[in-house]
Amino acid sequence: MYEETGCFDSTSMAEGAVEENMELELQNQLSFNMDNSDNTNHLMQHDPNQSNWDAGVQVLTYETGHDHVDFSHISQDDRQHCNINVSSSLSPTTPDLLNLLHLPRCTASNSSISFANPNQTPSVYDPLFHLNLPPQPPLFRELFQSIPHGYSLQNSLFGDERDTNGGADLEFTKEIACIGRGGREAGRGKIKKHFATERQRREQLNDKYKVLRSLVPNPSKTDRASVVGDAIDYIKELLRTVNELKLLVEKKRCGRERSKRHKTEDDGAGDVESCNMKPLGDPDQSYNNGSLRSSWLQRKSKDTEVDVRIIDDEVTIKLIQRKKIDCLLFVSKALDHLQLDLHHVAGGHIGDYYSFLFNTKIIEGSSVYAGAIANKLIEVMDRQYAAVPPYQ
Amino acid sequence: MEFLGSASDASCITRARRRQAYDDSSEFKSKNLHAERRRRRKLSDRLLTLRSLVPIITNMNKATIIEDAITYIEVLQRDVKILSDQLLEMESSSEEKEKPIRIDDQINNAAEEMKKNGIEEDVQVTKISEKKLWMKIVFEKKRGRFTKLLEAMTYLGFEMTDTNVSTYKGAILVSACVERTYEDTLEVQETKELIQQIIRSI
Repeated sequence: MYEETGCFDSTSMAEGAVEENMELELQNQLSFNMDNSDNTNHLMQHDPNQSNWDAGVQVLTYETGHDHVDFSHISQDDRQHCNINVSSSLSPTTPDLLNLLHLPRCTASNSSISFANPNQTPSVYDPLFHLNLPPQPPLFRELFQSIPHGYSLQNSLFGDERDTNGGADLEFTKEIACIGRGGREAGRGKIKKHFATERQRREQLNDKYKVLRSLVPNPSKTDRASVVGDAIDYIKELLRTVNELKLLVEKKRCGRERSKRHKTEDDGAGDVESCNMKPLGDPDQSYNNGSLRSSWLQRKSKDTEVDVRIIDDEVTIKLIQRKKIDCLLFVSKALDHLQLDLHHVAGGHIGDYYSFLFNTKIIEGSSVYAGAIANKLIEVMDRQYAAVPPYQ
Repeated sequence: MEFLGSASDASCITRARRRQAYDDSSEFKSKNLHAERRRRRKLSDRLLTLRSLVPIITNMNKATIIEDAITYIEVLQRDVKILSDQLLEMESSSEEKEKPIRIDDQINNAAEEMKKNGIEEDVQVTKISEKKLWMKIVFEKKRGRFTKLLEAMTYLGFEMTDTNVSTYKGAILVSACVERTYEDTLEVQETKELIQQIIRSI
């Protein structure tokens, strides 16, 4: 295990932050493990490793509940000093070591980052206490394999054991890695959340998944893969809607301008011109490369599913509902409101469901869009469900 | 399989625990490993797709992908809102000019087309069981007429199940099974006359 460390050091001082992080992780990993095996001598042995870091190292100001350790602009000597401090405080409590080991870090940006998270609850470092020390070799093998490819490092690190929260030391190294990666962002002026413990990092990640799930209109399952899948579909749907709306606004604007031109021009020549212009030089046509307007989306509510597809001026609506209501009347009314001309309807009773397919055409001049149709239909259906007595 | 014990994902926990409870042989452990790997790969593939969709990405780690996706979705939602409000505003201001012309065109065309193609208004009703009738109606197409038909039918206590509607050359064809919502049986002739009245009145 320690021989591997040796060859690691020789490549340590590359510019890439990735490799720096790797080294950092590894060293911290080692010193951490050594700490646990109660071998303070080895820590001293590794001091020269740590002092290999660049002189221009900036260090985080780091606050926790118990300890406040403040480093800034440490030169090599000072670092030695603090490493000695580290080793001296090694014996009393392991959490202190952990605190201190967070700090010395290389950043490419040379700016000091202060991570102050007032909301953090002072907590014991769980990873430490539940440390099982699963076999080391797999971790190192992974790290070694991914050294040359800076990008794959990240993949292997979080692609592999991320969700399982494998042995606590794995968590620990990833935490360091994330801090390392997060440091690069400092230059962009983003305030990075500081996570004191792995648990908090996990919690924050879970919270983010929850937020993502809450944004999506019809979330189905709670597991992470489906949340991301739903988000992907929703983003695509939003993009379609935005394009559709842009197109409609353009059309409206051109229509208005054209009608204004109609009013101001008296001769027939002017009218012919503006009529001819439509298929050729209209901004919306050229914007679309002459292609058809198309859009589709699906919406679900508790008892209704709606699928709206628009191609040019034809709207196809599929409606599936679960309760026994005479929905045809209400849907037909809603379609009239939306200025959709009903051409075909087909459907009936299938098992517990009522399924309908509506083929409609947009009445000319109307600028209704897929989202509006779907929302209106769901609204109408839900209102009817609410009105129906429960025993039906 | 100690390191599967503290999975953060609920489904993973139950799956892992179930497996642990039932199986102890190495074969099952490896199956679990495969399943777990597949699950992780599925998640990371989806995350990659998500990242590819979002144009502004700050950092490449999992947490920021999700964050950036959240920001992007909010931006898109806001755009949709702005555009749709804009559209609504444009629509309300320019509505008066457009509408009156169009409706008249449609009405005139429908009646003419029907006559041109020899389609006549028609009502047919047959009994298919004790409580069910089947009806077929052809009538001239006008805006909102179908809705009015449905309204009248509901009002009179008729329920249309298994409905089909087609339009062609200015005429609407409606074929449906009709049941009475109340318990009385339906008489064919009565119903036919009722429907004919409805069509005349709408």
